[in-house]
Amino acid sequence: MPADRGSNRREFMKAASWGSLAVTAGMVATGRTPAFAAAPSKYPDWIPASPKPPKRGGTLTRASAWDPPVIDPRLTQSVGLYQFAGLTSNRLVRYAFTDEASGPGDMSLKGDLAESWAASPDHRVWTFKLRQGVKWQNLPPLNGRELTAADVKYCFEQYAKEGVQAFTFQEIEGMETPDKHTLRVHLKTPNTLFPQNVAEPVTVIFSREVLEEDGDLKKRLIGTGPYIVKEHTRKVRVVLQRNPDYWDKGRPYVDEYVILSTPDAATRLAAFRTGQADFIWVASPSEVETIIKTNPATVVQAYHNTLAPFGLALAQDRAPFNDVRVRRAVSMAIDRQKMVDTVFEGHGILGWGVPYIYYQDTPPTAKDLGPWWQYRPADAKKLLAEAGHPNGFETTLFYYEYFPQMTSEVQLVQQDLKRNLNINVKITKLDYTTYYGRYVESKWDGMSWGFQSGHAVGLDERTYMYMHSRSTKNFFRVNDPVIDELTTKLRRTPDKAEQRLIAKKIVDREYDQVLRMWMPYDNGFLVFQPHARNMAAVAMRRTDGYGSPSLARAWMEK
Amino acid sequence: MYKYVLRRLLLAVPVLLLSSLIVFGLMRVMPGDALTALMAESGNVGEKELAKLRRDLQLDRPYAEQYLLWLWQMVSFRPGDSIFTGEPIATSLKKSIPVTLELATLALILGLVIAVPIGILSATRQNTPADYAGRVVAVSGLSLPDFWLGTLVITFAAIWFRWIPSIGYVSFWESPTRNLQQFLLPAAVLGFRLSAATMRMTRSTVLEVLREDYVRTARAKGLEGRIVVYKHALKNALIPVVTIVGGQLGTLLAGTVIVETIFALPGMGRLTVEAILFRDYPVVQTNVMLVAGALVSLNLMVDLMYAWLDPRIRYH
Repeated sequence: MPADRGSNRREFMKAASWGSLAVTAGMVATGRTPAFAAAPSKYPDWIPASPKPPKRGGTLTRASAWDPPVIDPRLTQSVGLYQFAGLTSNRLVRYAFTDEASGPGDMSLKGDLAESWAASPDHRVWTFKLRQGVKWQNLPPLNGRELTAADVKYCFEQYAKEGVQAFTFQEIEGMETPDKHTLRVHLKTPNTLFPQNVAEPVTVIFSREVLEEDGDLKKRLIGTGPYIVKEHTRKVRVVLQRNPDYWDKGRPYVDEYVILSTPDAATRLAAFRTGQADFIWVASPSEVETIIKTNPATVVQAYHNTLAPFGLALAQDRAPFNDVRVRRAVSMAIDRQKMVDTVFEGHGILGWGVPYIYYQDTPPTAKDLGPWWQYRPADAKKLLAEAGHPNGFETTLFYYEYFPQMTSEVQLVQQDLKRNLNINVKITKLDYTTYYGRYVESKWDGMSWGFQSGHAVGLDERTYMYMHSRSTKNFFRVNDPVIDELTTKLRRTPDKAEQRLIAKKIVDREYDQVLRMWMPYDNGFLVFQPHARNMAAVAMRRTDGYGSPSLARAWMEK
Repeated sequence: MYKYVLRRLLLAVPVLLLSSLIVFGLMRVMPGDALTALMAESGNVGEKELAKLRRDLQLDRPYAEQYLLWLWQMVSFRPGDSIFTGEPIATSLKKSIPVTLELATLALILGLVIAVPIGILSATRQNTPADYAGRVVAVSGLSLPDFWLGTLVITFAAIWFRWIPSIGYVSFWESPTRNLQQFLLPAAVLGFRLSAATMRMTRSTVLEVLREDYVRTARAKGLEGRIVVYKHALKNALIPVVTIVGGQLGTLLAGTVIVETIFALPGMGRLTVEAILFRDYPVVQTNVMLVAGALVSLNLMVDLMYAWLDPRIRYH
């Protein structure tokens, strides 16, 4: 019953507030800034790098849910590929690795293949100075030849030509290579955030020779990275072997990294329990407790998402969702906190789309999200009546079940909208391909359980690329002149403090107009065997996924 | 008999043709294609580019042309390449068929090893605790789904014994011990399910045969009980059992999909399911045709076994 539910929620919030207060007090006493205000966990959110000297050798193993669909980086942005492509190949620029980061929210950029980079005053020309002495892996047809700026130029040109990265690289107007180790990139429009775009985990540098010999990159993945692909057997395993000629001398530390294709979650858990896997991702606190029972020495990192990749996408270019009052009413009729409490066992976020670390230090609270994101069913009903729908309406919602909790969320939305606004939602659950075909075509009516790609780390990707009305990645069908103006302005603003202010304005506008209705998402946990070192996840860079390049610094104390 | 076999083989042609039409049609009715599955999520690929890629993969050709082309590839034993991964289908099949074949064979053997002795025991000790226990086992096998049993087995093996079969398939020729370790549990899960119906059928047919006049005569002659059962009754009792086992082979192949997923085995089941999800038309079509062909052949083999079990059966 609504009254009881409200009371329970209040009780929970009260308890959570006291809990947060206690944790915050503790952190202040130890001189540490509270990283996350909601859902305090008994596990640390950060495992600092080991102070001991790294030990060489051993085989790191992980049971993985993902298989690379193809190994051609032009054709996919799937985590199945990027759980290891960032270890076989480098990018121009990268984000801080686990052993360099000051904490999970450290988003500082480091040189990968580029030693340094600088922009022209108008931020239309970017010059990258490449490291000298970087060699391709010693495999035919490269045979360990030196990497040059021309290689990077060729790779970027191919990305722009066709495939899944075309939109990102098509902002390049032209490139020149004044010498072997200098790449000058001319952009069509100024972009102060361009280095972030080439630091994305998917922008790995592949080789010209392989593409020209094979016609595609589906058979061989040869890069300049710390690991060489020793074996890739689909649906069985990927075996990476230490690259003895890696330019970062002495690294990587682990001799082999084996990724075992394990589609079943129970089997992955069993693999970890029996020591067949060195680390594993689990979604809920109860799963962590289950592991601790049999493996008490396990090391747990409580991960905290900085954004939610999923939300309710509304056909906001047509009735009834083109009326902002309808969008606001729908948003206020959904009890997000209940979802966090029940579906995610309290270890989840309320949901926001732009990573908060780009505009504030702590995760947004319900209050930060503004009035339309509070659970206020009575106000929602009033607003919907004002919008001309006093008796609700009929609509549809289609989705693909990425994870089992998603179905619970969809059903809770259906219940809330029926109970609070008399909106009848007809749910259709689709398979992966049907869902994507329909969703990205953007011609659907009603609602969809929408997504934004999981790989993107940079601010430009999460704002301009996903929200600008002309972007092909604008799946939520945002068409707001203010957002267009702000996201474009953000790209032209070099000052970090000013960037934060603009990013905040973007999200405030997004919340106010309910342009993308984010839904709660789990935080999850990374669980390690006690001998694992330097494998902790950093914000948006889980070491079992897109953050795998960090494993070049991982080692095992056994 | 040769005429009979020939006739059955000729009859298989329309069956296979019909199967090919159904699978081809169903795949085209499903929305989306392999390119949608591969690239749509990125949002970076425009309609023009997608159209070009579809052209490259010949996905823009009329359905009739695509069907005839595929049919020709099938009869000429050149099934083409996966449109999703680019791998030749023959290579994928070469890797996945032995896995499923090994799993299904071991499951069949284990299923029969469990079912036939317990079925006979149940029948010869009717209404005793042994019979009740056998019937409980049979009903459990019928009631417990593969996915539940498989998950349970792997979870409790990890908790109680700190052991599960090593993940990462190894072929029998690479390491027979490791390979058998990997297959034993999944085959037992599949075999247990398979054994249930066989066990019940064995019990009821053995019971029926044991009441026949010739069995009574054999007993009256003073033959030992064991000889009566195994030499005189069992062979006649096995005809319906063989029919049941033949009929279950389809279920067995379907069951491998789940079991292969739980035990991370790269067999035909996983290959087909992934291909369906990603609309990899040639892979799905080829796999379905292979399974259809296998079922037709298995049923023919079952029919031929009748004559061996019962010499009175003749083929005309």
